[in-house]
Amino acid sequence: MTAASFELLRAAGAVADNPADAGAVSRALGIPVLSPHEHTEVFMLNCPPYASVFLGPDGALGGEGADRVAGFWRAIGLTPPAEPDHLTALLSLYAGLGEAAAQVHRPATATMLARARAALFWEHLWPWLPAYLDAVTDLAIPAASAWAALTSAAITAEAGRYRAPAALPLAQRAAPAAPAAGEPGELVTALLMPVRSGIILTRRRLAAAAGDTGTGYRIGERRYALQAMLAQDPAQTLQWLARESEQWAIRHAGRADPGPASQWWSHRAGRTAWLLTELAGQAGADQAPVSAPLPAVTTTSQPMPKPSAMAAPGPISQPRSTP
Amino acid sequence: MPRNHPGTPSAGPPADPGLAALNTQLSAARAATLARGETFYQGPSRVHLAAFPPKERWDDWAELSSRAWPRREERHYMLVPTTCFNCESACGLLAYVDRESGQVRKFEGNPEHPGSRGRNCAKGPATLNQVTDPDRILYPLRRSGPRGSGNWERVSWDEALDALAGRIRAALTEGRQNEIMVHLGRPGEDGFTERVLASWGVDGHNSHTNVCSSGGRTGFQFWMGIDRPSPDHAHAKVIYLISAHLESGHYFNPHAQRITEARENGAKVIVLDTRLSNTATHADYWLSPQPGSEAAINLAIANHLIQTKRYDRDFVRRWWNWQEYLAACHPGEPPTFESFEAILARLYTEFTFDYAAAESGIDAAVLAEVAEVVAGAGHQFACHSWRSAAAANLGGWQVSRTVFLISALLGAVATPGGTFPNAWNKFIPRPIHVPPHPGVWQDLSWPAEYPLAQNELSFLLPHFLADGRGRLDTYFIRVYNPVWTNPDGLSWMEALTDENKVGCFVALTPTWSESAYFADYVLPMGHSPERHDTHSYEQYDGQWIGFRQPVLRAARERLGETITDSREVNPGEVWEENEFWTELSWRIDPDGSLGIRQYHESRARPGEKLTVDEYYGWMFEHSVPGLPERAASDGLTPLQWMRRYGAFEITRGNGPLHEQPVPDSELQDTVITGTGRVYSAARRPAGPNIVPTGAPEADPDGRAPAGVVVDGQVLRGFPTPSGRLEFWSSTLAGWGWPEQALPGYIKSHVHPDRLEPGQVVLLSTFRLPTQIHTRSANAKWLNELAHTNPVWVHPRDAGRFGIAKTGDLVRVETEIGYFVAKAWITEGIRPGVVACSHHMGRWRLQGDPRSGAPMPVVSLEHGDDGWRMQQRKPAGPYDSADPDTRRIWWSDTGVHQNLTFGVHPDPISGMHCWHQAVRVGPARPGDRHGDIHVDTHRAHEVYRQWLTLARPAGQVSPDGSRRPRWLMRPLKPTTAAYALPGPGTDAERRE
Repeated sequence: MTAASFELLRAAGAVADNPADAGAVSRALGIPVLSPHEHTEVFMLNCPPYASVFLGPDGALGGEGADRVAGFWRAIGLTPPAEPDHLTALLSLYAGLGEAAAQVHRPATATMLARARAALFWEHLWPWLPAYLDAVTDLAIPAASAWAALTSAAITAEAGRYRAPAALPLAQRAAPAAPAAGEPGELVTALLMPVRSGIILTRRRLAAAAGDTGTGYRIGERRYALQAMLAQDPAQTLQWLARESEQWAIRHAGRADPGPASQWWSHRAGRTAWLLTELAGQAGADQAPVSAPLPAVTTTSQPMPKPSAMAAPGPISQPRSTP
Repeated sequence: MPRNHPGTPSAGPPADPGLAALNTQLSAARAATLARGETFYQGPSRVHLAAFPPKERWDDWAELSSRAWPRREERHYMLVPTTCFNCESACGLLAYVDRESGQVRKFEGNPEHPGSRGRNCAKGPATLNQVTDPDRILYPLRRSGPRGSGNWERVSWDEALDALAGRIRAALTEGRQNEIMVHLGRPGEDGFTERVLASWGVDGHNSHTNVCSSGGRTGFQFWMGIDRPSPDHAHAKVIYLISAHLESGHYFNPHAQRITEARENGAKVIVLDTRLSNTATHADYWLSPQPGSEAAINLAIANHLIQTKRYDRDFVRRWWNWQEYLAACHPGEPPTFESFEAILARLYTEFTFDYAAAESGIDAAVLAEVAEVVAGAGHQFACHSWRSAAAANLGGWQVSRTVFLISALLGAVATPGGTFPNAWNKFIPRPIHVPPHPGVWQDLSWPAEYPLAQNELSFLLPHFLADGRGRLDTYFIRVYNPVWTNPDGLSWMEALTDENKVGCFVALTPTWSESAYFADYVLPMGHSPERHDTHSYEQYDGQWIGFRQPVLRAARERLGETITDSREVNPGEVWEENEFWTELSWRIDPDGSLGIRQYHESRARPGEKLTVDEYYGWMFEHSVPGLPERAASDGLTPLQWMRRYGAFEITRGNGPLHEQPVPDSELQDTVITGTGRVYSAARRPAGPNIVPTGAPEADPDGRAPAGVVVDGQVLRGFPTPSGRLEFWSSTLAGWGWPEQALPGYIKSHVHPDRLEPGQVVLLSTFRLPTQIHTRSANAKWLNELAHTNPVWVHPRDAGRFGIAKTGDLVRVETEIGYFVAKAWITEGIRPGVVACSHHMGRWRLQGDPRSGAPMPVVSLEHGDDGWRMQQRKPAGPYDSADPDTRRIWWSDTGVHQNLTFGVHPDPISGMHCWHQAVRVGPARPGDRHGDIHVDTHRAHEVYRQWLTLARPAGQVSPDGSRRPRWLMRPLKPTTAAYALPGPGTDAERRE
């Protein structure tokens, strides 16, 4: 591989870094420049570009998700940076490993570097980046969409140049359980954790949900906003979430993925869709007539209805690990 | 497409030709940007901090004014690098020079600095406070009344220079070289001041080091011939600190950031500190030992490594001077490594964990666990011992000698994650002129009683003057406050106010101080952004040089102006020492007849004065490898490059230099001793790096030590007499201390066995993390952060001391007086020990010219029983040009405890042993916070008691010299000057 393709990936990562720097790099990439406002909207408020947010068991910045990535840096003899799982750092590392392999003379070293790069790609980039870039595209910010399209093309091209491992990445093998019925707070938590729900609910999508369902969008963190919507109109909100999950399941399944990661995501999203459909049905049966006053947010502590005995999708078959 | 190993990429071009073309364009754009010296990816810096201003925008950097908010008002700055002056770390600063006003608006970190990497502690940005300090000294002043009367008259620099030059010229021409002395607080700009004194033929360099780090240095020097450690913290598995390096130690910021990196990578941190320092709070193991027992703990760990055979046998065999040790101490044993190992296995058996536990008060099981952690470190064991215990105890130097014993056992010497000799990670460029060694010996600094002293016996100067050992005609202090900093400061005051002892006292200082008040001349010198010098410190395995510069000069030169004197850009008539010393040297020797002027002349224009531009330009051009090439690639001269970026990394990853083979060209007519020391008639070519190290002597035929034979190969080795690491010191053995020639444990002067009933140990050596001795007194932000120094008392002790609650006044009685302070009842100190930081406790006398500086006004009276100091007016708000001085909300600025300490010179290292045996009790009726009482007659008796511990050169010198010539000394006289005076002269008579 020529060094030039690594530069593209590094540059794509740099755009996500900070707005002051994104301009020059975006121009060099030939894509529209995100305004500072747009940059903040994309990379801070809606789609923070950290692997831990999408693959971490907490669905949040840092924690075990970031530790895993930091462990990778250490495993290849590098000091993890302050944000080891930030997209800029990961793509820069990926490019660096590729360029280093081109410069070493010992075949064994080159092979080692190539394997490290492949492991980085399949464990810490490919498992979340396609879905993440879809989420960015959904924001409908032209400059962000252009960046997502270019980055998607670049990493898809990379994926096509590997023989994909048959095994799921560790983050997916060790992922916490999919959402289940129970306390509403727990359901909301699970829905907002991509690795559990298989879906990415950005602030913008939640705002769109509020518009679609006719509920009020309470300003605050996503959890607060979603809880408020569920409290206002559980059936409508659950139905919207179910449709959203179905869309994500279809989207994951349609991805050109040489490995099993996208299939796994699709299954998670499908399972979430099924659960939400069930819950929406129960909520619709229980819900007061539309003309009744909306319940107050403070009443959301009542348990969510449980799904019926309808068969849930079974577990995805685990591919055998390669030795 | 061919497939490789599962998961690995295949070779071949990118799949999408469009992407490939874009990649190519991008690479070309990046290369073009970098070729212009600009930054393509301007995100978080390579050290992963928040974004720094890209260097290509340093000429015009725009920021929004915070004061204009919510309006978006841009301010434009020139960013000019300099070096922080608020501790010895020499971290990089970037001055933000307002393009409109031409003044510095703020200081932030310099991302181009290899040591500090853009980071600073609180003291760096607070430099701005010092620059804008309303109480700073702006013009040369001359005393106009009796010393200490507070009466001054402004004089011109010419008047001051002519007066001083006249005195010095007279002293030199009359053979009174030893009546000239320059006493330094902050270091001498990597040798600049030493060279000025050498050019005058004067052995007049004095430093603060024997109240600071001499004890720590001594232990390292006897091992490796180099007196500072350079731990590679970032790559260590185990970091062992007998210091406070995460909060306030030497190289605090550069080391702390690397210790933090190591911790992120799983390193364990072990901290020995009797009090719960900020560093200790971050430790995996915090050991709070009985003060003075640290060496016993080190030896118990060493013994564990030996008994469990977890030491690096091959390293010990190759690099320890065990052959010398066997020959000298066990001549009957076979001269084999195996017989040495057998002896080694017996040497430290008394240092069991139980023994160390009994000495230190730390549970034996904890010590055993720590020893196991150390044993697991292998070559990645980074250690540091600097002030702390080594600076506090009789025999404290054995603390650093025993901690390095652990490194030497593990083979963790100059390894990644190990500890290096500092000289390998430091670079001092050879300057344009190097004057010869002075031909005189200054007995007031290097008395015969202390032939092995690491540095000048600076803190004994008042007592030596009182004993009539000499007098000083002209005494300079430079950024130094001896009355406040030293123990027994009132003896200093007595000496400095006696014109028979000190004829002319000159304070070179940016700010007023307790000492400057008694000076005859107060000459204003610049802060870090107002002066030139260079620095290089060991902060990782690499060598860098940093450049301090007057930032307004550099800024105005960027705008096309020509500045030839720093006074043109500094406030008032504030000068810098480089230009001052050059000018003074010219006036001492205006016609060159004394041979002085030649060292201060231009090379390019003989007969003209050397300018700072030529001095540093020559240095950067000729003595900093790689800098001319780097500068040329940016289209700059080396001096322009350093003015622009402030620091340059010369090497990185030097590794174990002792393992380097000596080239054949340096091996001619060689003689190899029985222990493998190689002497050669060929000299090693002089290199550009003149970093100080030990200087082993030539053999009787004049051959120079060239290396040491290790496994049949001649390697560079260490700058010790043996060329190896000296487990057994022939120097200590040969100079009257055979019982201390091995790493060992000396029971402290505050060992429990030596305490009288009712006495406890006072820890007095620790800093406040955001303060720096007296330097930071005029930094308002730092003063607001920390401004007092209560006495730490454990809750268990509070009752027996009669202290009810935090804030109660306590009287702390020392051997020469007492002080009254507030108590802080805390579990952060070991029971049976009290502690008080030596920072804070500043004062000013009634009549002191400092208008209202945030410190109390005190009265100082001398009666039959000694000196009494009382606070008459506490610190508080005052009017000045800075409105913030009206906002001072605190009044407690601590107590000056050092005044009440007698002098305790260690008989070997010469270090002042700071810890005090004290009695603590409730304040007496009439006692007020800040009260001090000192009996200076008693202080002189204490001096005499400690003097009896010494073993003078006249009794122990094996060769008739005053001191082993190989030992380091900041300014070395000629060989002839090393000879002891004949019978019946000064030192002999005293003995």
